[in-house]
Amino acid sequence: MTQKQILPSGNPRIDRLEMQGIVKRFPGVLANDHVNFDVNAFEVHALLGENGAGKSTLMKQLYGLYHPDQGQIIFDGEPRLIHSPRDAINLGIGMIHQHFMLVDSLTVAENVALGLPSTRGIMTDLDRVTKRICELAEVYGLDVEPDAYIWQLSVGQQQKVEIIKALYRGAALLILDEPTAVLTPQEVDDFFVTLTKMANDGHALIFISHKLHEVMAFTHRVTVLRDGKNVGTVNTVDTNKNLLAEMMVGRPLNFIRNYKTIKCGNPRLKVENLSALSDRGVPALKNVSFEVCAGEVLGLAGVSGNGQPELAQVIAGLRPSTSGKIMIDDENLTGSTPMQVIDKGVAYIPEKRNVEGLIKEFSVSENLIMRDLDQEIYSRNAFLNMGNIAKRSADLVKTFNVKTPSIDTPIKSLSGGNAQKVILAREISRQPKVLIAAQPTRGVDIGATEYIHERIIEQRETGTATLLISEDLDEIFALSDRIAVIFHGEIMGVVDRKDATLQSIGLMMAGEQPPETKTAE
Amino acid sequence: MKKFGKLVVLLVLVAILSTACGAAEPAAPAASTGPFKVAVVTPSAINDLAFSQSMYDALLAIQAEMGAENFEFVVSDSMFVVDDASSAIRDYASQDYNLIVAHGSQYGAALQEIAPDFPGVSFAWGTAGDTFNLPNVFAYEAFSQEGGYVSGVLAAALNKSGVIGVVGPVEVGDAKLYVDGFVAGVNATNADITVNVNYTGSFSDVALASEAAQTHIGAGADVMTGSAQMVVGAVGVAKEKGVLWFGTQADQASLAPDIVVACQIYDWAVVLRDIVSLVNEGTLGGKAYALSLENEGLKMVYNPGFDLPADVKALGDAAAKGIVDGTVTIGVGGK
Amino acid sequence: MEDLFTGSVLIGLLASAIRLATPYLYAAIGETFGQRSGVLNLGVDGIMLMGAFSAFYVVFKTGDLVGGVLLAALVGLLMGLLMAFISVTLSAEQGISGIGVYLFGLGMSDLLFQKLINNVQTVSGFPVAPIPLLSEIPVLGPILFRQNVLVYGAYILVPIAWFVLNKTTLGLKIKAVGENPEAADTLGVSVSRIRYFTVSLGGMLSGIAGASLSIALLNVFQFNLTNGLGFIAIALVYFGGWRPTWVLLGSLIFSFVNALQIWVQVVGLPIPSDIAVMTPYILTIVVLVISAQRVRPPSALSKAYERLE
Repeated sequence: MTQKQILPSGNPRIDRLEMQGIVKRFPGVLANDHVNFDVNAFEVHALLGENGAGKSTLMKQLYGLYHPDQGQIIFDGEPRLIHSPRDAINLGIGMIHQHFMLVDSLTVAENVALGLPSTRGIMTDLDRVTKRICELAEVYGLDVEPDAYIWQLSVGQQQKVEIIKALYRGAALLILDEPTAVLTPQEVDDFFVTLTKMANDGHALIFISHKLHEVMAFTHRVTVLRDGKNVGTVNTVDTNKNLLAEMMVGRPLNFIRNYKTIKCGNPRLKVENLSALSDRGVPALKNVSFEVCAGEVLGLAGVSGNGQPELAQVIAGLRPSTSGKIMIDDENLTGSTPMQVIDKGVAYIPEKRNVEGLIKEFSVSENLIMRDLDQEIYSRNAFLNMGNIAKRSADLVKTFNVKTPSIDTPIKSLSGGNAQKVILAREISRQPKVLIAAQPTRGVDIGATEYIHERIIEQRETGTATLLISEDLDEIFALSDRIAVIFHGEIMGVVDRKDATLQSIGLMMAGEQPPETKTAE
Repeated sequence: MKKFGKLVVLLVLVAILSTACGAAEPAAPAASTGPFKVAVVTPSAINDLAFSQSMYDALLAIQAEMGAENFEFVVSDSMFVVDDASSAIRDYASQDYNLIVAHGSQYGAALQEIAPDFPGVSFAWGTAGDTFNLPNVFAYEAFSQEGGYVSGVLAAALNKSGVIGVVGPVEVGDAKLYVDGFVAGVNATNADITVNVNYTGSFSDVALASEAAQTHIGAGADVMTGSAQMVVGAVGVAKEKGVLWFGTQADQASLAPDIVVACQIYDWAVVLRDIVSLVNEGTLGGKAYALSLENEGLKMVYNPGFDLPADVKALGDAAAKGIVDGTVTIGVGGK
Repeated sequence: MEDLFTGSVLIGLLASAIRLATPYLYAAIGETFGQRSGVLNLGVDGIMLMGAFSAFYVVFKTGDLVGGVLLAALVGLLMGLLMAFISVTLSAEQGISGIGVYLFGLGMSDLLFQKLINNVQTVSGFPVAPIPLLSEIPVLGPILFRQNVLVYGAYILVPIAWFVLNKTTLGLKIKAVGENPEAADTLGVSVSRIRYFTVSLGGMLSGIAGASLSIALLNVFQFNLTNGLGFIAIALVYFGGWRPTWVLLGSLIFSFVNALQIWVQVVGLPIPSDIAVMTPYILTIVVLVISAQRVRPPSALSKAYERLE
């Protein structure tokens, strides 16, 4: 055995990992089709691709959650079989999942110790675990409090716990699955500092993402997957955003976005001093006020969990407000039922599309007409007019480019992007006065994202007032005419798109007042 | 495949369960003419040494009298869920049984609904006095206060501590009559004795009955009685602590031969015999029965293993005689 | 009536509560393990019945008390494995499968009883075993240390359960599996192995709970001996907020109020029996309602875990 180099964490280094000819089939799907992939120590290697391109499948095989049908995985020249996450961990692989794998009701130290043998036999040895966490935290500049419960930590801190957890287990190679999706821009910067340091120290890092600017800014090489195949591995310095996007989608994409400065006298949607409670009964919205004009997209930026879903639900009539009012074209909508809200011309693309937006077991056509069932063309005297329903559904599927085997296919068999198009079709085919779009492209691939964005812009041109709620700043910047930022249920400020910078919006997302507001008060 | 697996497991469970429920049934009748066929639904097990067993024993007795070729019966026991019982009653009614016995006052409402749908079938239920004015329903009850009174007289005579304990189930019907009769018997014999009564709120909570017996003994009782199938718990405690016990509904001496003094037993055969002959004559219902010491539907059975002094037994016999000839007034339930 | 409630009465009531709480404790502590790992086993009562019958049968035939407890534990363990198989391996809906296990135990224990014994009998069960010295302590002695072995066992179980859940790596795994099975899985903790373990353990303890009824407290067996006691035990797990010490407290409160209501009736206080017998249940419900807002159940409770979607 050759002596391995030791990393600052004390873990042995992995100099080179290769995945060769990986094939993975699921019923009806070829998820990985002879994929080759490799990563070296001192390197950040981006794995790029749309949803369903096979990135997660590939990485889950490396982590022992799935097993390849063909192909092999080679560590420093030695082929290895990885049967379970435990095997992967023993080989020095750590995975930071997109949804953190932390147990909320346990402490940081308990989460780190979970599943590991204890130095005290059957009893836990949390004091020793704590000591080691502090050592690792110091080496890598990760400040975490070992005795804190996970639920007490911010998302950024939780991510640090995940990294420590992996390092504690001897990780020399880290798989990072869309790690920045949940972070504020400032947290992202912090995070990259940490990762860069880790790479410089000799770790091998695999960075799964679909955010092109992050990939460009921070990685050494990029591998793009499309439809389960590796369509190319390139050095980051030799490529650019447009080229990568083309590799991902297989065709050139439109990145044209233009915003305008809106001047409107009478806003279409007006929210005044609105307050509401969360499911747990604590204030989720505090005196929220803003206006959206006809033909305008107002982007609402903010980190997850700052009152966004509550705001959308209150406007849609799904959640009672405790004070304040909501006006549409000077008509008071406060306290209306969801049906009344719909009748006033509000369309709603909910954040939890599988819970609020769609009935997963129902067919595409049933989901498409669900909201308009009472209209005479669909039903008369409680009997459904199946002919009209089928015709209308087929039209919508065609117009909105929904990829589905038939209109009778249940929604649950559709991809996220196509499911979202079904909601979009149902909502904007009504020519709404107001569109509430909450996280409209979350979990949706680039192709469908582009399509949904085009449709939202199209609505803007026809005079719809759109409230775009998104945690994705790229999306906010791409579509909005003005940007509002929500933090802890309060609107921190509203700025014109032309005056907004990532820096200024990011600060507001972290709870800082914008400079104008400070001076105004 | 997974769904299929779940289904199989559930089916197996259900199948095993149904075998378990049906297990207590003696051979079911097959012929449609000939023997007199009776179906019985009881709320507890037929070997409960109490209410359900009293009916089962009577059926066996009638069968012995008439011959197995002339009298057949099936029992669905442990039907403590009234809904299950009512579907069983309906099933039997549609299977040409001559008589269906719903042995439990909780089945009354179900019977009232079912009986009119099967005018050619005779039904009996108890313990109750109400035939609902239906021509095909008999009702039967027991003047259990009579045996209760006799037991009370005996208990008072045997008591030394001045305290007697009663473990009752639910403060209604048969059980209440028995308990009240028992208390009256004690008071009539020695008014200085304290009778402590508790009800557990259940016919089947053995653990609570046992704990109640402990409490009675803790309060000084040296003689106890109780009613319903749960009393096996109380009898167990009495046995352990050497406290005397009076039973009712069935002969409980086998449980604790040393401490059971006497039991009032129900002989439903008295009622069944008359119902069978009425049904054979074409009268399907309309009559209400009551077991009593007089018609010998109620009997005092003395435990031969317990050495009961002759003078005490004479007191009990005198009380029984007095009830029959009307010289003793219990003051409970019109007696 | 003035001197009804004396010190000795209180001692009697507390001793009674300690005794009554025994079957609840075994069953509820076992169920606590299962629920902490995310499996709701509603079959407790059925498993108790099978345990009660098994133990009773052994003692009835051979008089071997220890053998009775061991068979009850084994039968309970097997029924726990059955529940684990249905809910973990087959990922069946836990509420339904638990009811299935309950009905199975209810029917099967009666079937065996009819076939093997066939009428109500009593046995001599575990005798009271006073603990030397401790049982002589005034007040506490008669309450705590003049009980039978299975009663002592139930109370020893509580600190053991607390220790396992809070101080061992196994406890950490159990809690993690119940809160976030996916996270546990990614750390190499086998979700199904842990759940098999906890549910089997719960089954074993439920079997012993049954034995504590049939060969230690009541010394008798009949159809549906437990009379729904296992369901109360499940309610006590909720009341206890999935924590052994609180489950102990809940069991004691429930049992004490039950003992108290019997006593109130026995001494003839003018309270209708219907009201008296309701009080332990009302109390339990009230406490459940209050505590429901206080403690959150394990997040993955009653959810099957499947790695592949």
